[in-house]
Amino acid sequence: MKKIASVMPEKSGKQPKMEVNIGGVRFKNPVLTASGTFAYGIEFAHLMDLNAIGGIVVKGISMKPIEGNPPPRIYETSSGMLNAIGWQNIGATEFVSKKLPALQKYHINIIVNVVGFSLEDYLEVTRFLNDFPGIAALELNISCPNVKHGGFHFNKDPRDTYKVTAKTKKASPNIPLWVKLSPNVTDIREFARACEDAGADAISAINTLVGMAIDVEKRRPRLHFVTGGLSGPAIKPVALRMVWQAASEVKIPVIGMGGIANCEDALEFLIAGARAVQVGTANFYNPAASQQIALGLEEYCRSRGIKDINSIVGSLQV
Amino acid sequence: MLDRRVKVKDVRDLGAANYLLTLSSPEQARLAHPGQFLMVKCCEDVDENPLLRRPFSIFAVRHHGRTANPIGLEILVKDVGIGTHKLVQARPGQELCTLGPQGHPFQVPKEMGGEVRFACLVAGGVGIAALYLLARELLAVGVAPVLFYGARGAPELVLRDYFERLGIRIYYATEDGSLGERGLVTVPLARFLKEHGRKGLKMYACGPWAMMRASHALAHEYSVPCDVSLEARMGCSLGACMGCVVQAAGDSTQARFIRVCMEGPVMNSRMIDWEHPPL
Repeated sequence: MKKIASVMPEKSGKQPKMEVNIGGVRFKNPVLTASGTFAYGIEFAHLMDLNAIGGIVVKGISMKPIEGNPPPRIYETSSGMLNAIGWQNIGATEFVSKKLPALQKYHINIIVNVVGFSLEDYLEVTRFLNDFPGIAALELNISCPNVKHGGFHFNKDPRDTYKVTAKTKKASPNIPLWVKLSPNVTDIREFARACEDAGADAISAINTLVGMAIDVEKRRPRLHFVTGGLSGPAIKPVALRMVWQAASEVKIPVIGMGGIANCEDALEFLIAGARAVQVGTANFYNPAASQQIALGLEEYCRSRGIKDINSIVGSLQV
Repeated sequence: MLDRRVKVKDVRDLGAANYLLTLSSPEQARLAHPGQFLMVKCCEDVDENPLLRRPFSIFAVRHHGRTANPIGLEILVKDVGIGTHKLVQARPGQELCTLGPQGHPFQVPKEMGGEVRFACLVAGGVGIAALYLLARELLAVGVAPVLFYGARGAPELVLRDYFERLGIRIYYATEDGSLGERGLVTVPLARFLKEHGRKGLKMYACGPWAMMRASHALAHEYSVPCDVSLEARMGCSLGACMGCVVQAAGDSTQARFIRVCMEGPVMNSRMIDWEHPPL
């Protein structure tokens, strides 16, 4: 796949408006990359034009570095993959000193996914990051299925989701707060509502589905953690349904993700009600996927005479 | 590292489910260093299953005629799963998305010729693929490679003709005794170390985990520096997903888990916790 230049090709029609606004933050276009799939962005800089997309959600950051789970951590499944990475990250101090400055050289919104094993963990890293400029939003990761304590526990009961959102929002006066929701719930609408009531600026949905795979010769799980998060095209129908449900329930913006691999996938999510989308697993087998999708959305609008991408958002007719 | 759609030039059946794929890719060929790998999508369409690309050692660089002009890469593919099964059925002229050359290569400084007499290359099965470019580079700086190549049986000792043509000393070992010594490849290795060990040796190993662990133990016993080339299931191969990790040695200054794609695939064997295989 050739690296696509950021120079715009000859336009067939008028330039459509691709800018979206999420909780007061302007994005040049609605395409972002998902946490855990794009590291700190720089790793992809020589394979695509980072300036071509609206934002990057960096790998989940905790106050202190986290080692992560022992391998095996990943296993490919049909139209997707399982992962049980376990939040391995360099810690907030190293992130702000080593990674953030390099990323700020690009004309792109930086969203920091934050992780923790307890409410205090989330509050500590949130307060710390609030002292640093150049972070467009924090994405609260309370929905990861791959750690023993934390994350998952705030997503079992909407009241816990409300509590962690409200307290973290209070601890984040300088940076807008997004909450990333788990699909491993009975009714995502309750959780979406809890986030909105608690003051979240936006919701991102969905995180991975819980799955597993087994080695039939060794009769052992393919992942050390036994279960893992399923991502990729296999989960798109579920993700789309949940994004539609969440977006129908709340007024705050919903950022949709789950198996988005091309422009048409992204359009489905926008039509379902997502104000923006995140591209995740596709980055692994097509490093320039997010850039291609951003360009594709613009071409879609131009060729159909759609003046503003926002007119597509939530345009599903049921 | 380049992301390129390249044409398959040739698919050669080497026997025992092994195939040598030749890819036309001058840009990537120009950048290849010994020990690096290529991530290859196993089907033509980027959205087709299986989704993830697979990593393969760059076995050799093809040149135009007898010139020094690199035009292609060769990779060894063993048909072991759904991805490799599709890949070995690729037809000449077919296009595949590839990402590379990638990874931490073998370091072969020019001064090595003055310090190292013998470089013990230890290969198990398809691990041989990581060592050919290395052997040539070692010869170029005046170091004598000695190859220790083991497999289950003679049919699995693929690509040995490339090494035989280099005129280097080779010790074969097969578990069924069909070629060379019957048993594990670390037996002739241990004998060689006993005879020549302690000074002026370097070891390079690539193969099954148990073989590399045993090689590392011998290297430690004889105080021979040892580099290994690891394999792992990979997600992104770019250092982003943190999926391809191995456990680092306890006394290592690195993080507890290090990435085969970025901190490797070539690593000093002392960096690794050999009691915790990643698979």
